[in-house]
Amino acid sequence: MKKSLLLLLGLVMVLFLAACGGEEGSEENTSGDSSDEGSDEASGDVKLRIAWWGEQSRNDYTLEVIELYEEQNPGVTIEPEYASWDDYWRKLAPQAAANELPDIIAMDLSYLSQYAENGQLANLSDFIGSEINVDNISEDNINTGKVNDGLYGFNLGVNAVGFQYNPEKLKEIGIEEIPEDWTWDDFMEMSQKAADAGVYFDNGFQADVFFNYYLRQNGKRLYAEDGSGLGYEDDQLFVDFFSMIQKEVEKGATPTPDFMAQLAGPEDDPVVKGEGVGIFQWSNQFVGLEQTSGLDFNIAPMPGPNVSDGLFLKPSMFFSVAENSEAKAEAAKFIDFFVNNIEANKLILGERGVPVSSAVKEALAEEVSSSQAEVFEYISWVEENSTPMGPADPAAAGEIIELLTNLSEQISYGEITPEDAAEHFRTNAESILK
Amino acid sequence: MKPKHLKKIIYHVLVGGFAILLLYPVFWLVMSSFKVSEQIFVTAESFIPDPFVLGNYAQGWEGFGDHGFGTFIKNTAIFVAFVLVGHLVSCSLIAFGFARLKFVGRNFWFAIMIVTLMLPYEVVMIPQYIIFAELGWLNSLKPLVVPAFFGHPFFIFLLVQFIRTIPRELDEAATIDGCNTFGIYYRIILPLIVPALATTAIFTFYWTWDNLLGPVLYLNSPSKYTVSMALNMFLSNETVSNWGAMFAMSVVSLIPVFIIFFIFQRYVVEGISTSGLKG
Amino acid sequence: MQTNIKQNLWGYLFIGPFIIGFLAFTIIPIIASLYFSFTSYDLFSAPQWIGFDNFKEMFTNDPRYLHSLKITFIYVFAGVPLRLAFALIVAMLLNTASRAVGLYRTLYYLPSLIGGSVAVAIMWRNIFGDEGIVNLALLSMGIDPVRWFGDPTAALWMLIFLSVWQFGSSMLIFLAGLKSIPQSYYEAASVDGASFFQKFFHITIPMLSPVILFNAIMQTIAAFMTFVPAFIISKGTGGPLDGTLLYSLYLFKQGFEFFSMGYASAMAWIMLIIIAILTSIIFLTSKFWVHYESEGGR
Repeated sequence: MKKSLLLLLGLVMVLFLAACGGEEGSEENTSGDSSDEGSDEASGDVKLRIAWWGEQSRNDYTLEVIELYEEQNPGVTIEPEYASWDDYWRKLAPQAAANELPDIIAMDLSYLSQYAENGQLANLSDFIGSEINVDNISEDNINTGKVNDGLYGFNLGVNAVGFQYNPEKLKEIGIEEIPEDWTWDDFMEMSQKAADAGVYFDNGFQADVFFNYYLRQNGKRLYAEDGSGLGYEDDQLFVDFFSMIQKEVEKGATPTPDFMAQLAGPEDDPVVKGEGVGIFQWSNQFVGLEQTSGLDFNIAPMPGPNVSDGLFLKPSMFFSVAENSEAKAEAAKFIDFFVNNIEANKLILGERGVPVSSAVKEALAEEVSSSQAEVFEYISWVEENSTPMGPADPAAAGEIIELLTNLSEQISYGEITPEDAAEHFRTNAESILK
Repeated sequence: MKPKHLKKIIYHVLVGGFAILLLYPVFWLVMSSFKVSEQIFVTAESFIPDPFVLGNYAQGWEGFGDHGFGTFIKNTAIFVAFVLVGHLVSCSLIAFGFARLKFVGRNFWFAIMIVTLMLPYEVVMIPQYIIFAELGWLNSLKPLVVPAFFGHPFFIFLLVQFIRTIPRELDEAATIDGCNTFGIYYRIILPLIVPALATTAIFTFYWTWDNLLGPVLYLNSPSKYTVSMALNMFLSNETVSNWGAMFAMSVVSLIPVFIIFFIFQRYVVEGISTSGLKG
Repeated sequence: MQTNIKQNLWGYLFIGPFIIGFLAFTIIPIIASLYFSFTSYDLFSAPQWIGFDNFKEMFTNDPRYLHSLKITFIYVFAGVPLRLAFALIVAMLLNTASRAVGLYRTLYYLPSLIGGSVAVAIMWRNIFGDEGIVNLALLSMGIDPVRWFGDPTAALWMLIFLSVWQFGSSMLIFLAGLKSIPQSYYEAASVDGASFFQKFFHITIPMLSPVILFNAIMQTIAAFMTFVPAFIISKGTGGPLDGTLLYSLYLFKQGFEFFSMGYASAMAWIMLIIIAILTSIIFLTSKFWVHYESEGGR
């Protein structure tokens, strides 16, 4: 008995001793962090905290960019804080509540209003044209970061939706190519051919993204300009769009929702496995699609009419500066470097969306992979054939998207008719947005 | 002799067979760690990796930037060690107080303790975060390990229940022999609750090792990240996830937990039977 | 009198760490969350007092809330008894001291060790996938395959299976409890010619009852708070059709996706009340079935 107890204690002690050795190091770091966090700008020594979400390759190249910046800007130390998407947002909320946000924060469009309206983010307007050079960046791209009258996020790169399809599969169902000016009618005809051939034409539509596209095509948008309600009055638009999706499922051109739910991951997708024609999705997912499937894909625009009203360039990510930062100008300088520096962008290679700076985009033309080049090409086409995004989504967008996603799921499961869903969506959305 | 033999065989077939059934997912996990990332899903039906690759381990072990996966394992080990010591010392003391001592307000404090278990962490998280921020403890292990030295309701309750199964005559005998209250705790009770302490150790180890939310909230510098945080970073919600590396490192991070369990489980079941206690 | 003060002193000396920790780290957040539950609070700006509105909203105007409450009850009342029964049976099977059994114990505990990582989500998707082993097994028994992730009821049961599969922690506690039953009791019973079931009901269950009480209470609490499995299995959505939208997951969504921390806090306090009532019932009934050796066999 005594022996086993001793052994247990011994083990604990060993772990404890091992622990003490390590703790000293981290202890020092901690005190260092809190004492001079970007505060001694005067002495020329600046410390910036920067946070982003990402996986291995993004983390690796971003660290290289930071290193490059530190080399070129002696006296500036940048402390990276990265985490996975889910973990990142879990971390950011309490940091905001405690006024402990990092100086530079990667920001997503869906959260921008939430953080900006509550005074968590710094207005970057003052840095435009001074710390942040915008000579090569279009007004429209900059404005995507606007909330009310301030600029709270700086656009790092853009995306656009499109139909990413497998040309071989398309030929198999008897279609030569998808013309640039195809319409929803063409879409339904083509998908019928796919269904007849026993092949899925697409994977369905992410409700919030494509309903918004459909509304824009019809001169409306999902949210009212001031974010105080829905941006369309006629519920028939809702009914039309979701009935169309429902029909696609019924005729077998789109997988049933329970089939989609069974998929283990993107790798398991029929299109990736070469069993479907294409996917409607954002352009930044194109490289991954080609990589996981090992197949060649093309990008067609969204079905018309009025494609250019429907399409817009979506900021794939922003850098924001925290209001509690003590070195806002220094943070802005880093953003400038990240967006405009050619060397840096040769490391980034458009991984955060197609660069907003025309000079950078030109310089990268030769550098990027053939997949990425296709994305660049598509974005160039969209630049000519799109309208500005308009005001950022309201702060309650997260809840609205969830409501819409739920309803569209219920429609596809046949739990609710598109008509009832339209009404339900309106009443609930208006009360959330109010 | 013969039926006993047969009984043994049936036992092993039954228990062993059932173990295999339960462990199928675990085998699948290990097997997947040797598959090419793209094949984990495509060839889900085929159990054996073909080709058999070790590259996932090499890739995963590299970690992110300047921090190899070894760093994350070391960080997690330090974190676990502190919490382990904290729990073993504090919980046994507190449990002894609740189970054996009569004092004013005992039931009140016990009820309070159980109630603290019933509130989801999500709603106390923000205020607690602000407290630790005020203390200047962010980006350190302190918010994660210091509370462990003040007991954990789950283990306190567990130990209380075990102490209550120990006959009081033993305490009385010890008192007659001249033991004070601390002596009873140290000499009588502590040795008798070794199985429960071992259980506490196993759970603490595993829960702390697996803890994700705590480190996510309080650790900012990648050099301090734990295994659970690192595993999530192999996955991407936008581009391609490195499933292979994630599975490989999941397997690696299971090994310490497995070893600790294997060592400590003996104390769970052998503690009292070897102490020669008679009922 | 003197001994009384001394007794109190000893008592508070021993439980002192708990009280200090409670006062330092726990009580303020608890009170704060109670306050938030009566406010509209978005995490970033100051909370605004709205009285009982959150609670009213929950029960009168939020079908998703009521739905998530319902499925959480199903999850708890189906999952916990299954898990405990399973854990007890396995613990009794493994309650011998041979070398092989040590290995078995570790193997049976393994599923619980791999816990809540992302790897589990993928693994689980594979096993319950269209061509996964579960559906293959069903097919071989002549049962139609089930779309486990596509059907709300099936998805909830899948979550319950996952929780039963990870029975290791309850098993371990039962094992520790079984080991503290003196062998002499069984020997005496055998001499008297007691059958296996007589021994089980007259020795094992009463002697194990404090541990059963512990497991029942802790597993009930834990089951009500289940978050990680539902989150990883449904990729954070609680789908399909809210089939896996367990209480904690909905609470998390309210607090951190919709930024309604006031509402989330109100939900948390309702949950606390529900759990408190349930555990009090278990505690109250424990007088009749839990046997404490230290308390003269009552």
